[in-house]
Amino acid sequence: MLATDMYKFRNYLRETGIIFCYSGYMTEDVLLGLGKAIKQKMVMDDEDKETAKAVFSIFVEQVQNVIRYSAEKETKDDVAELRYGVLTVGRQDNKVFVTCGNVIRNEDRERLKKNLTNIQKMNKDELKKLWKDTLRGKIPDGSKGAGVGFIDIARRTCQGFEFDFSEVDEEISFFTLKAYI
Amino acid sequence: METIIIKATERSPEVNFDFDANTFAIKGESYPEDVTEFYGDLLLKLELHLSNLNGETVNFTFELIYFNSSSAKVLMSLFDMLEEIAEEGNTVNVVWLYESDDDNMEELGEEFGEDLEAANFKMKTTEG
Repeated sequence: MLATDMYKFRNYLRETGIIFCYSGYMTEDVLLGLGKAIKQKMVMDDEDKETAKAVFSIFVEQVQNVIRYSAEKETKDDVAELRYGVLTVGRQDNKVFVTCGNVIRNEDRERLKKNLTNIQKMNKDELKKLWKDTLRGKIPDGSKGAGVGFIDIARRTCQGFEFDFSEVDEEISFFTLKAYI
Repeated sequence: METIIIKATERSPEVNFDFDANTFAIKGESYPEDVTEFYGDLLLKLELHLSNLNGETVNFTFELIYFNSSSAKVLMSLFDMLEEIAEEGNTVNVVWLYESDDDNMEELGEEFGEDLEAANFKMKTTEG
């Protein structure tokens, strides 16, 4: 039973094209370790350097978003807090994807949606301008909206990104962003 | 000020700030666990030093393999800082080194470099 369930779970992941899956508390150490494995897999798959670097870069921004902003967190005394998220990296129709999901507070949803929709519609030059303005602190970053990390993801995706929200209750929603490279 | 040399790690770059020679270099990967912790003090010391220069020549080399968005903020403030001291009359030479097959790092260099007017900016491949 144990092995059957786990095998089913693995097959489900495989059928959906997922190569890597991590669900749990995300830390900078997790980022470093997973990042290395992803890099290694990209080399093994003979991905071109450009794709491999874009995948890694989007992976870093996605995970750091969780580490900084996931609303699902655990704190204890003075131990650094842990934030929960789900990350998958896979391949679908010849494209690599990096998907990341985490809990957000409903009060942040509209702003996040508005910012991401805005970024999604931007062309290369508009994204560059927004990126520079944000780097220079002309546009507030670090807020729970679309920070420089999301702009970076938008600049790096070759095939765009999609995002979605699923309301959990009146307090929180589950947010997911999938970027295609 | 004493020269600062920091060795590269898997996720943070090699830093070589020779204040006496006014030669500065950042090289490698940059996605430190805590950007403020890694760059905060360096930027303060650099700013203090650069703001006191008058008619000097400053050389700054960037040779990055990868940097995350938090590091990009640091790079932007460095470029702005260098442009500012060039406007004040110092000769500032900024070199952006990238691997010849890394189009993204080349593009990022162009994007940072295009805002420099008073400072000199050169793009070079690491292969020479």
